Amino acid sequence: MQGSVEFSAVTKTYGPIRALADFTHRFGSGRVHALMGKNGSGKSTLIKILAGAILPTAGDFRLNGVPAHFTCPRDALAAGIVTVHQELSLVPGLSVAENIFLGRLSRRRLGPVSVIDWPRVHADAARLLTEMDIGDIDPGQPVSDLSVGQQQTVEIVKAMSFEPAVLLLDEPTSALAAREVDHLFALVRRLRARGVTILYITHRLNELFEIADTCTVLRDGHLVGAIEMADATPEIIVEMMFGDVAKARRPARRGAVADDPVLSVRGLSRRGVFENISFDLHRGEILGFAGMLGAGRTEVLRAIFGADPLDGGTIVLDGVPVQGPTPRRMKELGLGYTPENRKEVGLVQQLSIHDNLCLASLGRIAPRGMTSRRRERPHVARQIRDLAIKAADPLLPVSSLSGGNQQKVVIGNWLNTGPKVMFFDEPSRGVDIQAKQQIFEIMWAEASRGVSSIFVSSEPEELLDVADRILVLRHGRGVAEVAPGETTLAQLFRICMEGHP
Amino acid sequence: MAPNGPTGGPTGGPIGLVPNGIAVGPSGRPRRKRRGRGWLTAYAMESILLALVLSLVFLAPGFATWGNLLNVLRTISMLGIIAFGMTAVIICGEIDLSVGAGAALSGCIVAWFSGALAAPLGEVAAVIVGVAAALGAGVLTGMFAGKMRQAFNVPTFIVTLALYTALRGFANLITGGYPLTSFPDWFDFLGAGTLLGIPFPVYVFVLVFAVMHLLMTGTNFGRAVYAVGGNAEAARLSGIDVFFVKTMTLAVTGLLTALSGVLIASQIGSGTGTTATGMELDVIASSIIGGTSLMGGKGRIWGTLLGVLFLGCIANGMTLMNVSEFWQQVVRGGTILGAVLLNQILERARA
Repeated sequence: MQGSVEFSAVTKTYGPIRALADFTHRFGSGRVHALMGKNGSGKSTLIKILAGAILPTAGDFRLNGVPAHFTCPRDALAAGIVTVHQELSLVPGLSVAENIFLGRLSRRRLGPVSVIDWPRVHADAARLLTEMDIGDIDPGQPVSDLSVGQQQTVEIVKAMSFEPAVLLLDEPTSALAAREVDHLFALVRRLRARGVTILYITHRLNELFEIADTCTVLRDGHLVGAIEMADATPEIIVEMMFGDVAKARRPARRGAVADDPVLSVRGLSRRGVFENISFDLHRGEILGFAGMLGAGRTEVLRAIFGADPLDGGTIVLDGVPVQGPTPRRMKELGLGYTPENRKEVGLVQQLSIHDNLCLASLGRIAPRGMTSRRRERPHVARQIRDLAIKAADPLLPVSSLSGGNQQKVVIGNWLNTGPKVMFFDEPSRGVDIQAKQQIFEIMWAEASRGVSSIFVSSEPEELLDVADRILVLRHGRGVAEVAPGETTLAQLFRICMEGHP
Repeated sequence: MAPNGPTGGPTGGPIGLVPNGIAVGPSGRPRRKRRGRGWLTAYAMESILLALVLSLVFLAPGFATWGNLLNVLRTISMLGIIAFGMTAVIICGEIDLSVGAGAALSGCIVAWFSGALAAPLGEVAAVIVGVAAALGAGVLTGMFAGKMRQAFNVPTFIVTLALYTALRGFANLITGGYPLTSFPDWFDFLGAGTLLGIPFPVYVFVLVFAVMHLLMTGTNFGRAVYAVGGNAEAARLSGIDVFFVKTMTLAVTGLLTALSGVLIASQIGSGTGTTATGMELDVIASSIIGGTSLMGGKGRIWGTLLGVLFLGCIANGMTLMNVSEFWQQVVRGGTILGAVLLNQILERARA
């Protein structure tokens, strides 16, 4: 199994945006190559091109010196390039063996008909599992009985059943516990020893030094460089990822934040998700939540808002201790939450912009239950004006708006409730630069009116720009609290990834 | 630019004027402000109903007589009263298959009380207790389906399928399998009588239409129903009590089912366990013909009114034209399918 991959001047453009620009690089055979870069740097684009999911706009690449032209994922599979995606793609109700050979189960003749050769399927699966030294999984077990780590292992066994020359692993550890990560790494090393070339995407810096041989860094679609891990330090890699970042253009903010906490959280826990989270949010403050994907930031906000259950801890909102929060109760107490995936849970796509802007404030605008367009119109008009929502007609379906404007509708829906505390969960994800800046300005404007906010973002530079104070979460625990003025981007990023400066 | 597309311009630019687009009102109701061809798309269902009525006037002998039209109205009233509730249930993403059996049970309960309590309480009190018990049972049945959904996450399709069988069983247990004809004479008035020349059930039908229309378009509760059906999680995160909304729509439908059951029992003069067989399908069909989406989040009480009228006119017209019962069934099936296809096509034309 040989699998060197050589890119020459590969470019992918989406309209005016160059997701990947003139990428020229050789990934040597039989090694673990890490791909690093922040969101939008082009690493996913690169992986998708290699997996045949998208076609490059220009340039070509060679597999073992042979030019490769993939028009669909099946072509890539046939050439020996197999991808394990971040999200698991197993069928829970089927057995391990069935999942491994899904769509290509061995058959045998039974008189006039062809039937599945179950003994052979199970034997093949068992052989694969033994070859990879996996003793704790039975081929006949349904996948739904397995832990997440075991399911990830099955994904990789399934990938190996295609006998790949190149294996693409897209953040395989994001859902795994520490022990399961060790197990996965052992598996990766065994594959490398068999000559498989591995491209490994991760956001976890410490993993690189444990598993990777080289690290290739992308930034804004361009190749920054590649480095042998033997020569690398975390500082060098962070420097390569971020370069010289221009410092924030934060508006002149009122200086000190008042002392009285509006929201006090102590010892908040949810088993297996987060643990012993404590913090105070003061009047008019914007508190940033930093951390990597899966650090528990969204989960903490959802639990406080009552959207998810809680196992323990106390919440005091505006002087009122809250037992067993529900979204309804928290809304009454003056808490608003704009969820991270607005398309799925923030908006009712069939309804109009008007109706979406009034969703959370129905009872507030019409306290006696009878509502009307006329009564709601001033509230709708105010949000459209204040948030600069670009809508031809508020009665058009909300789905007619761009991502940035939809996000503003989600925010406007909550500002209409007259909140004291707002949770902004990834408000800038998937919106363009201009809308992003506008959303930050809305947050600052609300803060200066005395509204307190918690702001979750996966972009550490945004947190440094926007927040007054930043709490860093890692593996469901609060690990540090930093002040934006006294912290560099590289420092914050390292705390997020490693838990200490 | 497509107004229903996932996004506007990448820079969040103005989405522009929508050619032939339909703006959506609070109840998903198209705002009507276009002329020409647009008018026809906006009023498609109304136009088709009008065309149907006009052709029946000429084709079906006796259709356009006062007596026949009142007869049509009386027949559809029983169905329509339930259909307005069913529309709310379907809009919030649920279904109720038990309404036919529920209507039968309701009639049997009234009949039983009218007989059993007539001696100790007197006729009038016995009927009043009976009607109250029937309506109460209807509300409880609806709430039961809602609570099962909430507590055990059993789809209402399943719970109401179980009720579909069980309620009819209860109805027959009450009557012992024979029609209970224990009503006092004046009780006929509710289902068979007329007030100012118009059948009494028609008044109930119009009242229920008005109340349900107002509920769905003019109250917070109605808005919540659309939001829950359109995106339950978004509604929950906006502080709306999703299961309260679902349970209430089911309870309202239970109430309306029982009400309709009382009228039916009065009309036929007995409580019978086998009445209203298959009614649930006609009720659901008229909602769907009226443009209610089984996916939830979309539908109008006005549309259901049109659907009910449409089914009623077509059945009556065919009977007058001596079309065989079997062909009528085929036509009714074609009508349901055609209406859904029409809605799909209109949706695309508006987009």
